[in-house]
Amino acid sequence: MTSSPLIAAIRQRLNEAGYDDLPTPFRMAGVEFQFTGALRGRHGRALDLVLLVDTTAGLFGDSDGARVRARIQALSRALDVTASRYVLTVVLAGATLPGDIDSLADTARVLHVDTLPVNKAGVPDLDRLEDCIRVLLPLSIPQPAANEQDGTAQDQLEKALKNVVDAATIRTIMDAAEHGDEAVTTAIASLIDMALVSEQEKA
Amino acid sequence: MTDILLKELDVTDFRSIRGHVHAPLDAQVVLIHGENGAGKTSLLSAIELALTGGVQSLRRADPGYASQLMHRSAKQGSVSVATIGKGAATYGATLSIDGIATSTSFDPTLASFFSERSYLPQALLGQLLQIYQDSGNGADSPLAKFVGELLRLDRLDAIEAGLKPLGDVRNVRKVVDGWSENELEKTRLDVLIKDQQVGLHDIIENIGIQMSAIRDTASALGVEVELDERKLDAIEQALSPAQDELRLAVITDRRRELGSIRRDVVRAAGADPSALGHEPSSDAYERWAATYMERYSALRSRIEAILPAMSLPGDMASFADEALRHLALHADQATSRAGKAGADAARLSAAENEIDVARSRLQAIGSEMGGISTSAGGLAAILSEVTALVDGEICPVCDRDYAELNVGTLVEHVHGKVRRLSSSAQRLLDLGRTNTQAQALFDTLEREIATLTNGIPDERTLADLDRAAVDANAARADLSGIIDALKEGSRLRAGQVAAQRAVTEAQSRSVALTAGRQTMSDFAVAIAAAPVAEGEDLGAAVERIQSLLDAENRLIEERLALLRKAREAIGIIGSLQSRADRLSDELGGHETALKVVAQAQQRAQKVRNQGTKIREAVDAIRSGIIRKEFNERLNRLWRDLFVRLAPGEPFIPAFRIPESETQRIQPRLVTDHRSGGAAGGTPGAMLSAGNLNTAALTLFLSLHLSVPKTLPLLILDDPVQSMDDVHIAHLAALLRTLSKEHGRQIVIAVHDRQLFEYLRLELSPAFPNDSLLTLELARGPNQDTRCLSQRFGFKEETSLLAA
Repeated sequence: MTSSPLIAAIRQRLNEAGYDDLPTPFRMAGVEFQFTGALRGRHGRALDLVLLVDTTAGLFGDSDGARVRARIQALSRALDVTASRYVLTVVLAGATLPGDIDSLADTARVLHVDTLPVNKAGVPDLDRLEDCIRVLLPLSIPQPAANEQDGTAQDQLEKALKNVVDAATIRTIMDAAEHGDEAVTTAIASLIDMALVSEQEKA
Repeated sequence: MTDILLKELDVTDFRSIRGHVHAPLDAQVVLIHGENGAGKTSLLSAIELALTGGVQSLRRADPGYASQLMHRSAKQGSVSVATIGKGAATYGATLSIDGIATSTSFDPTLASFFSERSYLPQALLGQLLQIYQDSGNGADSPLAKFVGELLRLDRLDAIEAGLKPLGDVRNVRKVVDGWSENELEKTRLDVLIKDQQVGLHDIIENIGIQMSAIRDTASALGVEVELDERKLDAIEQALSPAQDELRLAVITDRRRELGSIRRDVVRAAGADPSALGHEPSSDAYERWAATYMERYSALRSRIEAILPAMSLPGDMASFADEALRHLALHADQATSRAGKAGADAARLSAAENEIDVARSRLQAIGSEMGGISTSAGGLAAILSEVTALVDGEICPVCDRDYAELNVGTLVEHVHGKVRRLSSSAQRLLDLGRTNTQAQALFDTLEREIATLTNGIPDERTLADLDRAAVDANAARADLSGIIDALKEGSRLRAGQVAAQRAVTEAQSRSVALTAGRQTMSDFAVAIAAAPVAEGEDLGAAVERIQSLLDAENRLIEERLALLRKAREAIGIIGSLQSRADRLSDELGGHETALKVVAQAQQRAQKVRNQGTKIREAVDAIRSGIIRKEFNERLNRLWRDLFVRLAPGEPFIPAFRIPESETQRIQPRLVTDHRSGGAAGGTPGAMLSAGNLNTAALTLFLSLHLSVPKTLPLLILDDPVQSMDDVHIAHLAALLRTLSKEHGRQIVIAVHDRQLFEYLRLELSPAFPNDSLLTLELARGPNQDTRCLSQRFGFKEETSLLAA
């Protein structure tokens, strides 16, 4: 186990999100793979295999890009061999690795966490940390407040003008609105004209 | 909440799909692959048509899209979608050449949710991308259009734009035909009514002035009048001039009468009373007559005897003058006749002598003329003619030879004879003339003598003439002696006659004067004045009564003038009142008309106000909807999704609602820096093309997720064109999250084979009951579209073992 606070923070966050630590090293297709950390999701994320790579003070050659890539590609091949449906996610924690790390993206989802973000108070800023691994975290959908369910525009309009404008006028205007603004103008103009004319005819 | 899931799709000859295609859809994730043109988009839009009865993205491009829906080679087509879950049903539509023949679709709420938030066609994605390119903020900017269409704000926008003219009355005038007319009519009536009110006020004021004039008059006349302007007849009655006119007539008569009396009196008073005492005139004449009358009578008869033919005037003075003149004449005549008789006698004797001389002369001439042949002249003329014929000495008359005589030549002889004959003729002529003169003188003398002889009076007559002249001269002398006395007598006589006439006249006048006095006195009593007192001067009395009458006359005339004025005032009031009544009537009519017009305007204004309120409400609702939709929740969600797909991008797109309320509320697109700090520019300026695509995609997903899960469906049509556009691994993770953690059924079509394979791996079922379907669309030339489906089930992973 590493004592890197960054790794610890990531691991803690992932654990909270429902990822279970796997014992390392683990074996795949008979091959033993050693990583700073490995986690596996549950239920919907049961096929997510997350590998933690500590690029700062890395053991197991974690600070060497080429060695990291080789190890990941070996694991990938092992998964292919066993026709596994596991999806690999590599979290590179710490300094950017030298070497051709970009090609890792062909075999695995790669996430970078440069440093442990610290806010002004010196406390680790978990929000910014989460941004880096957000794709692994569950999506929380904020629920709209109940009072925001107001119905259709016409309902709202009729409700808002209930005691001010008669429903027939609203309906006329709403119907005209289907045919564009000019139709609305014509409709209101003829309503006004009717109001003007009717009494003159009576007189 | 309705957990509807798609079960299967049947498409026949729809758009680019030829023939019949059956596609199972009953899996958590449906992954569709096909080369470009294989029919992916057709398959997805078939789902939309079946569920909503239309294809929104095509409708935007071409409102008449429906007739293009069927496959070119087919005569009819159909789409059909079956759902499972709550309210499992089958939706679908049949197509004909003309377009959509029949359709059974979602209710409008679900349908619009599907079109707006469940189905992301490529066109909408393109539109989303366009939002970022164009940073305009106007109502026509792509963002505004996108927001409008997404939230169905177009109707509200139409209402707002359509009701906008109501805000400005000038525009209302343009739009509403009757508005200006109504306004003009109202202004016209307002002005008219104001004018008429002023006019009415003036009239009422005028009536007041006239009434006060009447009041003054009435008090001046001492008449009790009830001053009610509505009882003009009574006032007129009270101010009737009849009585005064009657009085005036009486006074006028009286004055005329007085005038007549006055004239009589003046005439009577005009007589000279002194004539009455002219007795001396008569006495003088008497005395004169005693002295002269006898002489006068004697002289007069003497003169009348002398001048018997004359008619002499009776008056003594003129008689004297006339008689004197005639006597002088008479005397002159007698004298001249006597003188003439003497002269005539003398002449007669002279004439008798003269006529004796003339007679003897005539005798002498006659004797001489007798000796001269009277034919001498004629013979001389003939002989002178003959002279021309004398030639030689032979006489042409007698043919004798003159020469024989021997006394000269024949010519000389004839010439001499002619000369002699001619001188005799001349002497005869002279004698004849003298004879005539002598004869004329003789005749004249003879006549004169005869006349004188007749004219000369005889001696007796001459003596009478002398006597008459003497008498006349004597009478003249006598008359001249008394002529002054006669003239005085004549004057005295005339004076006497005049005096007598004056006396007569004075007497008659005195009688008239007395009568006049009596009349005057009676008259005075009649007009209730003091009678003419004894001793009062009549003239003064007349003046007194005259002035009395004049005063009364003046008084009545003044009264009448006042009455006339008052009655004129009544007349004026009457006409003013009728004008006022007419004006009031008109005013009433106009006020009624104004009321009608004003009411019409009020009603129209009410409708206008309602329109304005609708517009305000629309504005509020629109703002409300935008505020509700484009709120912090959406921004948080969008940020979350965007960060998942682009963890390396420091700028995050977000919506801002401008704080200012001055104009129509419109969300604005900005970018925020991830670590906070100032907002960046628009996404188009700040993000790379790939991240723009990511932003568009995540915006759609955010909009889907930000509202309650009405329809748990997400259908994405080729959202990424290649692996490089988006961090595809992250997208896959996101889709998996949505599918497996949030219960969305995901249908996604891709054309990239590698991407398809990758997604098939990533989206593999991760737990029991999780499912994945892949559909592969293929179509060869002139072949029906084929759809190969493959279902993947859950398989427990066993490869991972602890070391």
